[in-house]
Parts: sequence; C-alpha cells; structure tokens
Amino acid sequence: MSQVDFTDPATIAELMAALEAAGVDGLQLERPDQGLRIILARGRPAVIRRPEGLAVAGASRTTVKAPIAGVFLTHDPSRPTTLHRSDDVEQGDIIGFLRIGPILVPLTAPASARIMRRVAEHGAIVGFGDPLFEIELQS
Amino acid sequence: MIEIIETGPFNTVQDLGRPGYRKIGVTASGAMDPFGLKIGNVLVGNAPGAAAIEVQTFPFRLRFTGPVVFTVTGADCGAKLDEHPLLPWCTHAADAGQALELGRPRTGARAYLCFAGGLDVEPVMGSRSTSLRGAFGGNGGRFLTATDRLALCAETSGHRPRAGISVVDPAFALADHLPTSDDGSLIIRALPAGEHDLFGNDAERFWTQIWQISSKSDRTGYRLSGEPVKPTTPVEMRSHGVVPGVIQVPPSGEPIVQMSDANTAGGYPKIAGVIDADLWRLGQARIGSRVRFVRATHREALDVEKAMTLFLDDVRVTCGMVTRALNTMA
Repeated sequence: MSQVDFTDPATIAELMAALEAAGVDGLQLERPDQGLRIILARGRPAVIRRPEGLAVAGASRTTVKAPIAGVFLTHDPSRPTTLHRSDDVEQGDIIGFLRIGPILVPLTAPASARIMRRVAEHGAIVGFGDPLFEIELQS
Repeated sequence: MIEIIETGPFNTVQDLGRPGYRKIGVTASGAMDPFGLKIGNVLVGNAPGAAAIEVQTFPFRLRFTGPVVFTVTGADCGAKLDEHPLLPWCTHAADAGQALELGRPRTGARAYLCFAGGLDVEPVMGSRSTSLRGAFGGNGGRFLTATDRLALCAETSGHRPRAGISVVDPAFALADHLPTSDDGSLIIRALPAGEHDLFGNDAERFWTQIWQISSKSDRTGYRLSGEPVKPTTPVEMRSHGVVPGVIQVPPSGEPIVQMSDANTAGGYPKIAGVIDADLWRLGQARIGSRVRFVRATHREALDVEKAMTLFLDDVRVTCGMVTRALNTMA
C-alpha cells in the first residue's frame, strides 16, 4: 500500500484545507513511522510543528522520495552487485530501485550524503512521492 | 554525432540483418545477440531493429559530440562515462564532449551500444548491418576505426527517451525458459538436422560431449573443439542452403555452428540446428568457453521464442509508460 508522507508541508496544508472545508476542528493520525496532529485554530495563523521523534527536515536533512509508483528494491535482484551497503553515499550513487514489471528505475543520491533512515523495506509497494530514504547532506 | 576514439578490430554497425537475399548469395549479417540489441533499442525509445554498434574487441572508446541518450546492453564490460561507472542495461544521458569507455567484458562476449534515434548509416537492401565479407552496409562496409564519425537519426518515439531506465537481466527474467548446467558449460538447444542419422553412434556423442569454442571462431561461425564425430560412411553432398544455427561437420569431425555472418550455402553434412531462440545466448559465448547441445523439440523452440517475444513486448510497453510518467511528474 502506498503511504503518504505526513512530514510534507504540502500534504499538511492540503489536509488542513480539507478539515476547514469539512468544518472539522482537528485530526490525529498515528503510524509506526509517523504521527500527525492537526488542531484548527480558526482565525489564527497556522503553526506547523513536527511531532517528536520524527526526522526534522533541517537545512541538511532531506528525504529521497519515490519518483513513480513501484516495488522498492534495495538492489537489482538480477545483478546482486548493485546493492549499496554503505550508509555514506556520493552524488549519483544508486541507493535502490523501483521495479515496474521488467523495468527498473534506479534511485540515486541527490548529493554526497549519509543515509539516516531507510524508510521502505525491500519488496514494499510504494506510491509516487512516498519517502524512501532520509538522508543528511554532507557539506 | 559520435566519434570513435579507440577500438579493436571487428567492431561493426549492426541491426537485425538483411534476410531474404541468401538466394543471391548475400549473407544476412545482423547482431550476434539480437535479443540484447532489441532490448537496448527499446530502452532508448527506438524501434527494436535500429542500428547500433556491436563491440566484440576491447577496449572501446567513443566521444559524444552532442547530447545523446544511450544504453549499453549485452556483455557487461564495466562501461564508464568520463570515468564514472555506468549501470549496464540502463539508459544514460551524455553531454557533448563526454567519453564512453568499454573495458573487457566481465560476462558475455559482445556489447551493444544503442543510441536514441539509432545510427544513421545508409541502408543497403533494407538493412544498416555491416557485411564485412561483402564490404558493404554499415560504416562503408568495414569495421570501425579510430576517428570514424557516425551520425544519429532523429528520435522517432512519441516520448523523449529519458536517462535512468533500466531492465532486469533478460536471462534472469526468462530463467524458467533457459537451461542451466551444473558444470558451468552453456547448454544450447538444437534440433537434429538432415544428416544427423548418418553419424551412427557418433551422433549420440555429439549430444553428450562438452565442446569448446575454438579460437578459430568469429561472426561467420563457431568452430568447436572436442573428440571428432564422423559419419559411418563418408558423405558427399551438393552445396545447399545454410542459415545461422546450422551445425555442419567438416571431414575433420569438429563441428562448425553457422552464426550471423553465416555462409549462404555449404556442402558439409548437417548434424543439428541450434534453435533460433538460443542463438543470442551462443552469440554471447566466449572463445574458449564450453558448450553442450541438448535435443529440443519444435514445440519447445516455439515456446521459448514466445516467452522472449512476450518479455520484449512487456519491456517496450512498460518502458514507454514509465518514461511518460516520469516525464510528466518531473
């Protein structure tokens, strides 16, 4: 099943708009990896605070998201040497794949970085935009 | 446009060949691993039979004189773009001035360099394949040399091909349809041919023994070394039509498998014929490697061919879909 990234400000803003439109005051979502609580304070500017224990997307932290829906793979099963074992990656290093039938879309590190968390499991079906890796960019 | 910087001999422009002219003595030519060529072309958005470079001697280096999307299929030869290692069987985008280098293959014998649009050389009798023997087709009928420049056709696919689209290894995907051996020799399926039974007990030995691909092998044919097999009585035959896959036995008793540049006629007795669906696997076998032939049926041969066609169709359709989706969401 595809999972929505609740740390994405755009997603939160969308949910808030939906709550307002529906006349609902608040919303709380819990998932093993993420939690989200929205309380609408009508007439006051929105404060988006990240629940504790979640990765904080600071300047050096970023998320590698799925560019397309598919089966997440840590390596190409037909070429085992494509497994990237190290958490330290260089720009362009292949850190996983999305498989759609016989086609594989390689996922590359956007910059020199350290992988802080591997969000998706090998073999998991992921949706467009789902978080796959949390990485800390190396300066 | 691409420019060859360094190449060994016998690297040529090939497509799927020019069948249909054997009756006037024209060898069909074409890629030794047509499956690798077709998949490479489909990945970069070409028709399966677009012209590519078949590299069988290494190292090989070329320079891109403009931006090009390309892929390297067939043998895994540790391709690098400006020293940066490339994923094999994956599309990559090169910029003007970048150099592509292929080293000695880690697996297989022949690599296919497919470029979006395909190589633009003049077709001869419906094909852009090089006929080395006829000295026509491809790059002026000869193998590539340093400083050769090759133009590319305009991209024809409805969607722009994109970098970063790979495919699972076809041998992995089709594992259920490909025989394997315990001793590392390549198992190739074949059908008994016209003169098979004239070999008496030796015919059985043809199937059971492990043959070695001799150094006297090339795109025309593979000569096999092993214990000779001979007809029970000498056979005198008139020359007759020959196609790739036909296994002839000359008087020495060491078989010759006709390959892509097969002679159009020959007079040696034929002991067997490699099924079409296994020719690409033989085309990737290296000199010195071992091969054993197993008897197949017509039914089996057609089933493998069907599985390969389905896989290629799946790659073509899915690749187009993924490319369009990525282009939309990018």
